[in-house]
Amino acid sequence: MVPVITRRSIVVAAAFLVGMLVPVLAFAQTKGGVLRVGNLGEPPALDAHWTTASITETLTNHIYEGLYSLDASNRPIPMLAEGHTVSKDGLTYTFKLRQGIKFHNGKEMGSDDVVASLTRWGKQSIYGKALFAQVAEMRALDRYTVEFKLKEKSAIVLISLAVPNNFGAIYPKEIAEKFPPEVKVTEYVGTGPFRLAEWKPDQYIRMVRFDDYKSRGEKPNGYGGGKTAYLDEIRWIPVPEVATRVAQVETGELEFADDLNLDAYDRLKKNPHVQTIVSKPYYWLVAVFNKKEGLMTNQKLRQAWQAALDIEPIMKNVAGGHSEFYRMDSSLAPVEISTWHTKLGGLPWNERNKDKAKRLLQEAGYKREPIRFMTTQEYKWMYDFALLTKQQLEDVGFSIDLQVVDWATLVKRRNNSKEYDVFTTGMGAFYDPTHHIYLTPSWPGWTTDEGIAKLQAELARETDPKKRMALWEQQTRQFYEKVPVIRYGDLFGLRAMRTTVKGFNDKTERIRFYNVWLEK
Amino acid sequence: MAAYFVQRLLAVIPVMAVVVTVVFLLIHLIPGDPVSVMLGPDASPAQIEATRRALGLDRPLHEQLFRFYSRVVRGDLGQSYFLDRPVLTAIVERAEPTLVLTFSALLVAVAIGVPAGIVAAAHRGSAWDRLLMLGALLGVCIPGFWLSLNFIYLFAVRLGWLPAAGYTSIMVDPVAAGRYMVLPALSLGFNQSALIARISRSCMLEALHQDYVRTARAKGLSQRAVVYGHAFRNALVPVVTVVGITMAILIGGAVVTEIVFNIPGLGRLIISAILRRDYPVVQGVVLITAAAYVMINLTIDLLYAFIDPRIRYG
Amino acid sequence: MADAAVREVGTSTAESGVLGTVERAGQAGRLPSHTVRRLLRNRNVVIGGLTLIVFVAAALFANTISTHDPTRLEPARRLQAPSAAHYLGTDEFGRDVWSLVVHGSRVSLVVGLATMVLTSLAGVVIGVVAGYYRRIDLVLMRVMDGLMAFPAILLAIALMAARGPGVWNVIMALSVVYTPRTAMLIRSTVLSVRELDYVEAARALGRRDAGIAARHIVPSCVAPLLVQGSFIFAYAILAEAILGFLGVGVPPYVPSWGNVIASGKNVMREAFWVSLFPGLALTIAGLSLNLVGDGLRDTLDPRLAHSER
Repeated sequence: MVPVITRRSIVVAAAFLVGMLVPVLAFAQTKGGVLRVGNLGEPPALDAHWTTASITETLTNHIYEGLYSLDASNRPIPMLAEGHTVSKDGLTYTFKLRQGIKFHNGKEMGSDDVVASLTRWGKQSIYGKALFAQVAEMRALDRYTVEFKLKEKSAIVLISLAVPNNFGAIYPKEIAEKFPPEVKVTEYVGTGPFRLAEWKPDQYIRMVRFDDYKSRGEKPNGYGGGKTAYLDEIRWIPVPEVATRVAQVETGELEFADDLNLDAYDRLKKNPHVQTIVSKPYYWLVAVFNKKEGLMTNQKLRQAWQAALDIEPIMKNVAGGHSEFYRMDSSLAPVEISTWHTKLGGLPWNERNKDKAKRLLQEAGYKREPIRFMTTQEYKWMYDFALLTKQQLEDVGFSIDLQVVDWATLVKRRNNSKEYDVFTTGMGAFYDPTHHIYLTPSWPGWTTDEGIAKLQAELARETDPKKRMALWEQQTRQFYEKVPVIRYGDLFGLRAMRTTVKGFNDKTERIRFYNVWLEK
Repeated sequence: MAAYFVQRLLAVIPVMAVVVTVVFLLIHLIPGDPVSVMLGPDASPAQIEATRRALGLDRPLHEQLFRFYSRVVRGDLGQSYFLDRPVLTAIVERAEPTLVLTFSALLVAVAIGVPAGIVAAAHRGSAWDRLLMLGALLGVCIPGFWLSLNFIYLFAVRLGWLPAAGYTSIMVDPVAAGRYMVLPALSLGFNQSALIARISRSCMLEALHQDYVRTARAKGLSQRAVVYGHAFRNALVPVVTVVGITMAILIGGAVVTEIVFNIPGLGRLIISAILRRDYPVVQGVVLITAAAYVMINLTIDLLYAFIDPRIRYG
Repeated sequence: MADAAVREVGTSTAESGVLGTVERAGQAGRLPSHTVRRLLRNRNVVIGGLTLIVFVAAALFANTISTHDPTRLEPARRLQAPSAAHYLGTDEFGRDVWSLVVHGSRVSLVVGLATMVLTSLAGVVIGVVAGYYRRIDLVLMRVMDGLMAFPAILLAIALMAARGPGVWNVIMALSVVYTPRTAMLIRSTVLSVRELDYVEAARALGRRDAGIAARHIVPSCVAPLLVQGSFIFAYAILAEAILGFLGVGVPPYVPSWGNVIASGKNVMREAFWVSLFPGLALTIAGLSLNLVGDGLRDTLDPRLAHSER
């Protein structure tokens, strides 16, 4: 029988064809283009294992990937791993790796690359060290399987493998073994949707699309899920002057500008070609005490500092006078990390109690010795809150020696307990209670308090979520009593992009440009 | 003539020796141990020792100085710690923007200054003269970096005529390169244009008073012919000297201009190097710019001798 | 940025002109009174001098003229436009710009004056020694040439990077940078004066070198020192501001013109007054010193006085 081309069948065929075209037309993502991004400056390294610096985090997450990633609710989801199984006693984790994943140099990723990379990460990274303290043994079972044997039950295996900062990026085995953990890698080969094309320090870092990238099948989800590199190239341009970054995105010389000063918000809003992005959270501001030696080993002195502060005017000033850019909150995990956000009352946070402060100063036996307070102007908000703090503290009787240095010097000096008493920094969001680096003895400031250490260890072991939350609340109370660092408020960030930039996920804490395209 | 050339060339050597010594001393002026400042206290003792040995800082001072000299003479300016490449390479990479900026500013300075000075001299005592010289006085005193800020605010942000900052190489896109260079060259060259205007004026005035000019006037030549024909040429000679000195000032001024306009040149390099405690780079940039100045001066002197015979035999 | 390089050694007219006065001055041992009167009649000296006195007065009486404590942060009053309460507005921390500018004059004037004094002293010592002793002269002059080969600001920045922030480090760095110019000027003055008859006579009479230097040579240096000094004062003020602007000068929370301009550059759109007024102050201060310098040179340098201004 001869197939009849009826009118009906033509209509059906046409509908079928149109139906196939619709998704393409509806999204209209255009492949191609160069995205010029203005950021604060040069990264100290492009080695993800090596540093917790935010700039490094942002850059390395485009060219490297880890076994897990975070979804939109900040929970771990598989990335390079296919999935995992846990033994009944909770002491053995078996990870199955995805197959056919290519590195930028053409090599296929296998378990030996994973073991070598995570070994290196476990020796250098804060999060790696915390995890591997619980790991008895890690080995490759076969080409695509890796096994962890734990010393004790752990709540933090997946989350540690999923955090984006200072993360367990998978390098080729040869590179991971070539560079000892304390030495930054100088060969950059990963599995990410972009690869490093060129790095001209102080001029630009160029990343180009990796054509052999194998994306996951799911939709983009938070930092994870499917990643498509629509752009031909991302060009990261260091523009240290914030006023210049703002001006350049206004005039179109940059398509994206990060870390902008909040005073620029009003005029950026008025610009029809620019879209402003308020990122929540961004950083919460902290002053970290040197608890190893020096004046601030005295707990009463630290408590006095905490009691004296009137935090809101400081936050408001740092936020450029805009109340929508800061949030007063005593919780150690910001609102956006809903699992760990605490709403405790009666904490000695933002007490604004000058009398209590003066009394504590007396009890501490403080004799107006100058306290070395280290800050930098490169992150403007750090300098701002340091200067405002200095005035508030001096009003109750502190003597503050404010030392303004550059960020690189601050990061180096804060490792030396002889060089300072307090320094400023900002904390990004921590996705697990055990990741709060300022509660650990190895991070600058050296929180060695036994009570705090005990609770951190319990938090690492306890797997029941309710019990963990109770422990976390306990830890929070202890934090405000022992005052290892001063917690100010939450600061939100200002970013700006041209309206030609599409597909940008403005819900993530740090910027990502996969799944982003440029409208012609 | 040749004797003067040789003499002048030889005179460069002791000057460069002093330059290299000063550059060497810079790193030793730092209070405390320069190596641990460079590497940071989180460096292992082994790393510090290795770096110290690599830099030769474990040797006595005079030996260090000698080794520094021999390295410099061979063109080895050391290795940058932050950039992971030889200092000389880093400098060569960044030289183009600074050179372009400096020459553009020089062009601006001469193009504005010389005509202004000549016109003022030609109309001595008139309102024009007074106005121009007042402008020149002001131009000398206005801080270049402040002018940069105001230019950006006015022309880029408010009027939108020119880009606020940035740089493109002439070889990549001449038109864009030009647009990016306008404001930086103007703010850098402005001060110097005022200085050149004043000098051109006094040189011109002096030339106009010379006998041969009076003769020319007596012969009935027009004011124009007198000014542009005779006086001009002679007045220009000292201006050439000024140009040389201007170059040195511009190189220094370029540092600030590059920061404000985000131009990736040697000025930005040295400031970043200072911020990162990358001392080999600081030394290298200072050395190269001083050497450049010495060479420029040498060239100007030789040119001058060529033009003005009095110098040669004086 | 104007540079004394042109006004000093190398511009023959300036040299010989100054020497004319030097001859007469040397005979009298100090500046003759008619010169002082001529100085006061010179328009540039008067205008520049008066303006300078205003600045000095502002610096001396800073606490009285200020309306607020310049270091007091008032976050609630940030970025306010000039008003009756805040004559020149407030900055991003609510600090009063008028008070900042007034107190900033202190840093500028201290740095400028100290640098001028130090460079003059060092310049005289080096210049006299070099002018007198041939052998040392050769070495000293090469060293001076070498130092002058560095662009001033670059050398200052490098020195500040090595030594760290602080007012004294700024003064030291700038003194190192500017001394060579003064030294060379003094040296050529000394060289010319040495050949003068009355000096030869004194030497023939057996007077000791130091005595000759003190009685005849040093006074002849006064005039060129004053002229050079005013310009160095001006450069030092500007250099301090540049160093402050770049963040390698005095600490950022110390009121100085450079620091305030730097803090204002991020808010040019929202609050142009923060960078505007200290910049104006800087310009006017530099202007006054340049005027004084010009006027001094014209008066003490009769040959140039004949060619018009």
